Amino acid sequence: MKITDHPSPPKWLLRFFRWFCQADYVEDIEGDLLERFAMQTGELGLAKAKRKFALEVMKLFRPSLIRPIQLLPNHYHPAMLQSNLKTGFRNLLKNKGYSSIKIGGFAIGVAAFLLLALFVQDELKHDQHYIHKDRVYRLLNASTNPEFQFKRWPSFSAQIGQLLNEDYPEIETAGRLIVRDWYLAGDNQFRKATDKQNNYETGFAYADPEMLDILEIQMVYGKPEHALSQPNSIVLSREKADIYFPGENPVGKTIILNEDYERQFVIGGVMENITSSHLSFDFLLTLIDVEFWRGEQTDWCCQNYDVYLRVKPGTDIPALEEKLLAVKEDYILRNLIDNENQFAEIVKKHRTFELQPINDIYLKSAGYFDNHQHGDFKMVQLIAAIALFILLLACTNFINLYTAKSANRAKEVGVRKVAGSFRGDLVRQFLTESIMYSSISVVLGVALALVSIPYFNELAGKSLVFPVAQWWFVPALTVLAVLIGLLAGLYPAFYLSAFKPINVLKGGTSKGVKNSKLRSSMVVFQFTTSTILVVCALVVYDQMQFILHKKIGFDKERMMMIHGAHTLLDKTDTFKEELERLPMVESVTNSNYFPVEGTSRDNNEFWIDGQQKTVKGVSGQAWWVADNYIPSMKINLLEGRVFSKEIAGDSAATIINQTMARKLGLEDPLNQKIRSWRTWNIIGMVEDFHFDNMKHDIRPLAMFMSRRNTAIVAARIKTGNVSEAVASIANVWNKFLPNQPIRYEFLEESYANMYEDIQRTGNVFTACAVLAILIACLGLFGLSTFMAEQRSKEISVRKILGASERSLFQLLTVNYLKLVLISLIIAIPISWYLMQEWLTSYTYRIDMAWRVFALAGTLVAGIALLTVSRQALRLSFANPAVFLKDE
Amino acid sequence: MSKSRLGELEEVVLLTVAILYGKAYGIAIANEMEERIGRKISIGSLQVVLRRMENKGYLTSEFGEATNVRGGKRKRYFTLTNFGKQALENTKNQRLSLWEAIPKTAFGN
Repeated sequence: MKITDHPSPPKWLLRFFRWFCQADYVEDIEGDLLERFAMQTGELGLAKAKRKFALEVMKLFRPSLIRPIQLLPNHYHPAMLQSNLKTGFRNLLKNKGYSSIKIGGFAIGVAAFLLLALFVQDELKHDQHYIHKDRVYRLLNASTNPEFQFKRWPSFSAQIGQLLNEDYPEIETAGRLIVRDWYLAGDNQFRKATDKQNNYETGFAYADPEMLDILEIQMVYGKPEHALSQPNSIVLSREKADIYFPGENPVGKTIILNEDYERQFVIGGVMENITSSHLSFDFLLTLIDVEFWRGEQTDWCCQNYDVYLRVKPGTDIPALEEKLLAVKEDYILRNLIDNENQFAEIVKKHRTFELQPINDIYLKSAGYFDNHQHGDFKMVQLIAAIALFILLLACTNFINLYTAKSANRAKEVGVRKVAGSFRGDLVRQFLTESIMYSSISVVLGVALALVSIPYFNELAGKSLVFPVAQWWFVPALTVLAVLIGLLAGLYPAFYLSAFKPINVLKGGTSKGVKNSKLRSSMVVFQFTTSTILVVCALVVYDQMQFILHKKIGFDKERMMMIHGAHTLLDKTDTFKEELERLPMVESVTNSNYFPVEGTSRDNNEFWIDGQQKTVKGVSGQAWWVADNYIPSMKINLLEGRVFSKEIAGDSAATIINQTMARKLGLEDPLNQKIRSWRTWNIIGMVEDFHFDNMKHDIRPLAMFMSRRNTAIVAARIKTGNVSEAVASIANVWNKFLPNQPIRYEFLEESYANMYEDIQRTGNVFTACAVLAILIACLGLFGLSTFMAEQRSKEISVRKILGASERSLFQLLTVNYLKLVLISLIIAIPISWYLMQEWLTSYTYRIDMAWRVFALAGTLVAGIALLTVSRQALRLSFANPAVFLKDE
Repeated sequence: MSKSRLGELEEVVLLTVAILYGKAYGIAIANEMEERIGRKISIGSLQVVLRRMENKGYLTSEFGEATNVRGGKRKRYFTLTNFGKQALENTKNQRLSLWEAIPKTAFGN
């Protein structure tokens, strides 16, 4: 009977069985399987037998029959491990310089990886802590109108909260929140009623009582359902409560904001600090019984409230979004139509509502207009990629450096093999060695990361802490070390252990392995990346310089802005007069509105008077300023005159900027009437000045004279001793408000702060560029060492035949320069494209000059040349006899 | 009391090995069990029991000659050791003593 006559069971099942079964058992059990299969084929037919066979194999897959999981074979004795480690250490010490480059480079890679991984982890954990996170949403307006800059924004009119709670049974609870600078939201002077001393505090927000429940805020003191339920109640964060009421329960204590005795606040509770969220506030003011102006709570004119809600379990979200369109029909549209507003058509056509899951808000709100801090999901992905990429580069460099020196180990391998070593033993030896290296590197890397985390935090604008105390920290790092060690050691281990003893002992280095193409392309890759990053860093730096030195349309020098001056109340004018009397003060003005971010903004619609029912309004800023604001800020007046307290009609007068005149279509704006909630007479026009970030166009602006907007008093100081001037101004302040420390900043600083994000981007690019160059140089160093090793005999022979040191040096470096040149050619168009993209986010931007590319190219090529010249010089000046003695 | 307490399946398998004296290998045991007491068993479960009892010392095994059937795979023949025999007898005696201790009236007529 021939075996092949029998139908055979599925091959792969048999193979699987042989793979998992203990070696001793395989033969007879397989025989049993086949026998039973043959029998069942006869009885039941092939198909059924096959199925039964599969079942039998699965049933054999059990612990007592599976081959034991074994990483190291039985004879890998601890003594062997010890011996391998010893050889490893000896090797490490033999080439101290080389080893330190190998380990150091690796450690840097690990440190960068750890920091970036920590950053990514921190970004990803935002807004993930809610128990009901799958049911908590933020309501968004969505518009498909192409003319709008923003496609989504969260603000609604006051009534929305009540509406959602009453008319929509799907919604369990909804609440409103105001977090931007608005009335008391934002920053205030804060004090206990029992204290005299005022303290400047930020992080105020208005909230409905429901918000505590929706945001699942934990209370330290007070009950969440009562903490905000009374009018004028306030909730403090634990952090602030610890400052103002250390060790006591402050519930029921009275708080005074901005010296306003009319409206005192009572503490209703203390909440846990808000962390890892798109929201950040330390003080919640209740919205109960709040009305910002008469009729505000029922007026659909304005959008000032963000809305958060929790739906009932199992709610169909798209259906609810559809249903919410009733809000648009019944309220928003009706209001627009009643006021004959020309936007009604647009709203009718383009506006919808969306519910955004709360855990998406932090990372996935790109292009949304809200007042929260956001992470950028793309950025996070990019950084995660960079982190892995850096780790990979570090690993490949490690491999590179390991194999480059292989000639030194080749003889060892030869001798070991001759003495009876199996290849497996050698593989294990090298793997042990590389795990040893990687463990040292990881330890160093962690140390490096720990040391550099404050700098990294500053760079990234974060406050990351290493989770050293977490239980998983040490195991995770151990796993990382072993994994990286295996990854990096695998190739060298198999490469080195494959040497044939006869070849390496004869005296030649291994000629067979010339994978320099791989190495070359790796170097090209690394230098391309470095060049791109260098160009990016330079362009960002240029743009930064451009913005900081651009003519901005006002004078930002020596302008001291005193914040919180509204608590001066009716003493403001006297205060200003006293300041003006100081010899070092040039002029004093006041307003809530200044041309830097962080001061007030107020958007309104403007029409040429009489057109408000027929055309769409121009959306522009309305600023209340002191009479001398324009001359004091040194804004250039083009036509007409500035405000004057003496002229009675000036309370209805306005001064506009060029953009406003252009947008309204006013050729000759003087003495024209414009309309925005009332009629204004244009008495002057100023040259456009940058009052927003230069990312954006200059917006239309109308200024009105007011004595009441006094949040900031700004004094221009004469050239001379600035600190003396500040001291004397502070003196005057203390005379007026002894209980409120003076808080000031210079306009110039605030202006620079506005562009902190560019600075930060620049810093990040610079850091990445430095890191990339470092890693690339290590790669190049590895390559040049490898090549030097390979070509040592060739060079020696050339030298004996009379080649000069200079020509040898050229010979050895020109190849690398070629590689770098290729990198530059690849990198320049890519970086040009990338930076062009980046620059488009700025309305006012630089043109990229060739200078940047030339500079980056020279820099990178220079560094590369320096790196390779070490090996090249060593080899070209070496004594040929050293390399030829083996032959 | 001896520590060698046999499981029910172990007992059946040991007995079958004894029955097949000298010819007891995997499939033969399974087939014999099926024929005699109508008990089907998967190769997996059988092998686990066999190996366990071999480790405990109730059984020994050795390979037979390779043949042309079974894909040319050798059979592994199991034989009872003295210790195994003793374990079986112990079990039997225990059962018997229990049977004998049952009062006549317990089973009614």
